[in-house]
Amino acid sequence: MQAVVTSNRGTYENPPDLSPDTWLTIRFSEGDEDDSTGWSFIRNSCMHCTDAACVAVCPSGALFHNEYGIVSYDKEKCIGCGYCAEFCPFNIPRLGVDPAINADRMNKCTMCTSPGLDRIAMGLEPACVKTCPTQALIFGDRDKLIAQGREVVSSLNSAHPNSQPQARLYGETELGGLHVLYVLADSPETYNLPPEPEFPAAATIQRDVFRPFAWIVWAAVAAGLALNVIVARARQIHSRESK
Amino acid sequence: MGMIERYTKKARWFHWIYVAVFLELVLSGLVIFVPWSSLSIVGQWVRLIHRIGAILMVAIPLIYAVLKPKQAYYFVIEAFQWGVDDLEWLKAAPNYYFGGDPRSMPPQGYVNSGMKLYRLAILIGGALFVITGFIMAFLKDIVPPVVFQWSLFVHDFTFIVALCMFFLHVQLGVFHPRMDESLLSIIDGKVSNAYASSHHGKWYDRVRQEKNHADQIVD
Repeated sequence: MQAVVTSNRGTYENPPDLSPDTWLTIRFSEGDEDDSTGWSFIRNSCMHCTDAACVAVCPSGALFHNEYGIVSYDKEKCIGCGYCAEFCPFNIPRLGVDPAINADRMNKCTMCTSPGLDRIAMGLEPACVKTCPTQALIFGDRDKLIAQGREVVSSLNSAHPNSQPQARLYGETELGGLHVLYVLADSPETYNLPPEPEFPAAATIQRDVFRPFAWIVWAAVAAGLALNVIVARARQIHSRESK
Repeated sequence: MGMIERYTKKARWFHWIYVAVFLELVLSGLVIFVPWSSLSIVGQWVRLIHRIGAILMVAIPLIYAVLKPKQAYYFVIEAFQWGVDDLEWLKAAPNYYFGGDPRSMPPQGYVNSGMKLYRLAILIGGALFVITGFIMAFLKDIVPPVVFQWSLFVHDFTFIVALCMFFLHVQLGVFHPRMDESLLSIIDGKVSNAYASSHHGKWYDRVRQEKNHADQIVD
């Protein structure tokens, strides 16, 4: 009897991707056959960049840095434009229809600082850290975590001096310093991370040129045109009178 | 004082409908430049209105081109017809627009050099708006993010320039003492012979000749 033919779909990752309701997934990638690392797991969520392109391009101020440098998010202010999703170097924000208001809204990890549900302000750890049973995730003072991360990196590299590439700390300097740090045992690409994430140039122009100067340009042009009318009127009257 | 027709009824309707659509697009797009506009709940309506406006912005000229193919053709073609008089005009324009002697201006056709520049701005700006807007609205999930990013850049830059050009258009059409018949002409379609002669001498002479010629045939 012939077997039922099925299309080869699906993924071992569940849920398969981030969504407005899923702010964090654990992504894995399989190493090569002769690769002793085997499976590489990584936490896939917002990196809370210091130079955050999403904050730069957000037109409504829905995305902002809170006092700890975390890229926090006030959903009430989101207009659903989706610029953040298009500018994020890590492809994190997800847009979708919010059933409560039947309108497009972005969503992403806020490191549990969402207004009204701010675990950090209450002195608690983010939920992901709290639930991680193996303490692979640690929350704390960034400087201390960097020191701790460097220690782990050096111990990994001294234990495996011949492994290529060497382990490294990711997030210390990237994009002005991320507020999520990773000890990577392999290259960033292995974990689907950009080796050198870049702040998009178009985001710089948005934030530093267009938004602040557009109004100045319009005001200057309007003032110049008004002045032109005043001068032209005065000169025409003057030339008529002198005739 | 004799009057001469400058804008047909269709052209005037087209102009004012276009003004309405343009302003609708400006206001719905300006949201992006107003950081304190937490229009959250109406955000998607603003976006929808902007997109409807964009479709009208493309559809209306196409409808006009079907109804009035000759006028539409000349609207485009005249923007690219430049001669020595245009260079002279550009040189003399600053003094003229600041109230200097109008006799220093070389005679102009139906559109003067400034209007040609304005039409070029409309054609180029319009193309940039449509292409980048289309990419952002419909191809967001297909094109790489960097294409979206630079489309937004071009769209915003064109918007900043377009609003300046709009200010210029309003200033010349409504407030400038030299264009004292401009606003009325786009409302009731006519300008005085004196205005036509001084502002669009070549066009005026041509119309007069054609009229004389027609009169002779009638006679």
